[in-house]
Amino acid sequence: MTSDNKAAITPATTRHNPWVRLWCGKPPSLFLLGIATAVTAVMAIPIIYVLIQGVQADPARWRLLLDQRIPALLQRSLGLAVTVTSLALLVGAPLAWLVTRTDLPGRDVWHWLLALPMVIPPYVGAMTYIIVFGPRGLMWRSFGSTFLDVYSFTGVSLVLASFTFPYVFLLASSSLRRMNRNYEEAAAVAGLSPAQALLRVTLPLLRPALGAGALLVALYVLADFGAVNMLRYSTFTTAIFYQIGSFDQSSAAILSVVLVSLTVLLLYLENRAKAGVRYSSVRGTWHCRQPVRLGKLKPLAMAFVTTVFLFTAVLPLAVLIFWSVTGIANGALDQRFFGFALNSFVTAGAAALIAGILALPVVYLRRRHPGAVSAFLNRLSYTGYSLPGVIVALGMIFLFNNYVRFLYGTAFMLILAYVVRFMPQSLQATETALSQVPPQLEEAAQSLGFSPGRVLRRVTAPLAVPGVMAGVSFVFVSALKELPATLLLRPAGMDTLAVRIWIEASEAFYHSAAPAALLIVLLSILPLKWMLSKY
Amino acid sequence: MYAIELKDVVKDYTQCGQPAVDKLSLRVSHGEIVTLLGPSGCGKTTTLRLIAGFERADSGSIYLAGSAVSDGRRFVPPERRGIGMVFQDYALFPHLTVAQNVGFGCKAAERATRTREMLALVGLPDFGDRYPHQLSGGQQQRVALARALAPRPVVVLLDEPFSNLDADLRGQMRSEVKRILNQAGATAVLVTHDQKDALAISDRIVVMCGGTLQQEGTPREIYQFPENRFVASFVGESNILCGKVGDSGNTVQTLLGEVPCSHTHDKPPGSQVCVSIRPESLELDPHGQVAGVVKEYHYSGQSIDARIETLGEFPQELTVHIHPEHSAQIGDTLRFRILPEFVAVIRAEETIKTIA
Repeated sequence: MTSDNKAAITPATTRHNPWVRLWCGKPPSLFLLGIATAVTAVMAIPIIYVLIQGVQADPARWRLLLDQRIPALLQRSLGLAVTVTSLALLVGAPLAWLVTRTDLPGRDVWHWLLALPMVIPPYVGAMTYIIVFGPRGLMWRSFGSTFLDVYSFTGVSLVLASFTFPYVFLLASSSLRRMNRNYEEAAAVAGLSPAQALLRVTLPLLRPALGAGALLVALYVLADFGAVNMLRYSTFTTAIFYQIGSFDQSSAAILSVVLVSLTVLLLYLENRAKAGVRYSSVRGTWHCRQPVRLGKLKPLAMAFVTTVFLFTAVLPLAVLIFWSVTGIANGALDQRFFGFALNSFVTAGAAALIAGILALPVVYLRRRHPGAVSAFLNRLSYTGYSLPGVIVALGMIFLFNNYVRFLYGTAFMLILAYVVRFMPQSLQATETALSQVPPQLEEAAQSLGFSPGRVLRRVTAPLAVPGVMAGVSFVFVSALKELPATLLLRPAGMDTLAVRIWIEASEAFYHSAAPAALLIVLLSILPLKWMLSKY
Repeated sequence: MYAIELKDVVKDYTQCGQPAVDKLSLRVSHGEIVTLLGPSGCGKTTTLRLIAGFERADSGSIYLAGSAVSDGRRFVPPERRGIGMVFQDYALFPHLTVAQNVGFGCKAAERATRTREMLALVGLPDFGDRYPHQLSGGQQQRVALARALAPRPVVVLLDEPFSNLDADLRGQMRSEVKRILNQAGATAVLVTHDQKDALAISDRIVVMCGGTLQQEGTPREIYQFPENRFVASFVGESNILCGKVGDSGNTVQTLLGEVPCSHTHDKPPGSQVCVSIRPESLELDPHGQVAGVVKEYHYSGQSIDARIETLGEFPQELTVHIHPEHSAQIGDTLRFRILPEFVAVIRAEETIKTIA
């Protein structure tokens, strides 16, 4: 009990110390607080800057856009979001029920297979659909008809729904799996038929999970750039993209304000749905229960599941593999390809590492020093969450152009954009990892004479590292797939795999685009393992 | 000098006038095993965490081995207090072996010897290479105790140490923990809501309720002579009756008649008091002074726990324990005599409240 360490021995009268009370009696060190605040600022400032630019833009321009562009864009963006979300619900929810509750053959395998479309970036999916159903595509050449106009509203909706329905599927099946089956048995005892029990008990309990899944899909659609752009459909993101491209940053900022408002509205709804999910996922005693017998409907159910799988996973993957083989036979894996891959790995890898490290102080502050301040910082660092890449890119352009000119147009700017955009994934994974280290373990180490710093090194870090690494891999894969911010921010001449896919596909050089796309898909499968164990 | 001393310690989480710990003062001597006993929410765990330094007191002071660790001027963090702690769920580090866990807080020079000594003390000399998840609940608890004792702490704090063990193991671990603590010569403060834990293991029991100290004393004092209604009914079962101290000073005049009582707090004859009569002090006796009709009973194996209603002008409900060799049926009339050793007068202010 020496008194040489001033930081360790601090005044203890807390009743009249508002600072200590603000932290519920456990104030953090100023060092930790400073770092967490700085990280949060970096995360939030680009987007806040865009919003300020947008709000302060010339009112005449606001009027012009409000009269001419915004109503049409709203209609197109919202129309697409609503349609895709409905499709995803109609496909995802029944699949979840079939896979978790019935005697569908191969249920465990289907759980994996039906999550697979999630690893295919929608713009890669769009490319494969263009190859098959596009004008002069495979269908047209084989059968003389395209069957589906991929460039129509229907086409865009189907493509986006194909690669986003797994969000609904995974959330719904996880909720079904955790749902206390006593509820369903209670319904049966009360005299309800299986169909009635499904409608009156299971579905209402599932509603929060379906809501959360639906909102994830809607957010995804609002933020998507690559697929809608390839399918020549214009939404807010593509409009903002082309305004930035034509150096009309003030219009881009105005459109961003509208899009961010939409996103915030959806996030608010998702938050409410999430609170409901926690409420309903009361764990029951787990028993291996008798699955619902499909009986005569089994072939129909199998046909449904197989069809979905065929169009959302087999078709795109088969096309990618076919064109990759053709491409590789024609020497697609040349020096340039490896250059692009290297660019991708270096930028995505750097972003993932930075996001992993920066998440630590923010999450640690929030978990170990709860209070209004840490909650506020945590919330603020989620600003980039599900915001479209074009808006993050716009914020970067504003900031670097005005304040950090010497870094403008460097890879650093791109990496920082990835960090801002994908940091929330790392935050979530780190938060999960830390929540699996109970505070008692840290208290035990502290009671054995370890200072907070050594507790972190010897106990917290070794236990949290696997979860933190999962977060790093999420960010890596997301950055690898990222398209709009990469297109806008990459240094001149530095193409990544994603950029090459976009360029080659737009010129119909599919054999050049396919190997890169296949590589991205294969790498995306890695974190799927973590995702599936989480849901 | 005491191993632990608390003076007027207050901890109020909510700041809304109902402190978790309210002006608590407490002294623990070296080598003593003291139990904080009370229902959940009584402030016992908060007291433990205040001693450990995981919480900061709002006011009051805490001394460990004579030096202040928390008062108006200073706050010593847990890692500098020299305490050992056994957590409710043991909190063994899952990424370290048993030996590494035990040696965690030791100085490098003595780590190996100390680890061996401690594992031998807790009876697990060959378990050093295992991981915590490979141990049973009782073994985990021994390791947690060994880990807490290894750095020779000023005091060991145990938070609900037996709550995660099933009934058989619980009894066994009570005597085992007591042996280990005594053999290590440790000063220990233990928190529990289970009176059996408290009675079995403690040198001294501190009964708490609402953040304040209700009574402290040896297990026998607490059980035989509860000082107030709360202690009487929380520690064991009790029948509480009101009455007047008799002329001789060692009886109390109640609705049951003259009740012999060896613990009257030296109240003068004639003063209004309440008495606590333990079910054990009502013994079946065909010539006993108390007669009652059995209203309900249940058989627990060791005894027949019955509620009887006394005969007479003012019927009273009493809880009695009947030796299982007897048989009792609802409606039977039984007679009991009252043994003076388990009858205690409970505190005066409680008496007034009861009468009002």
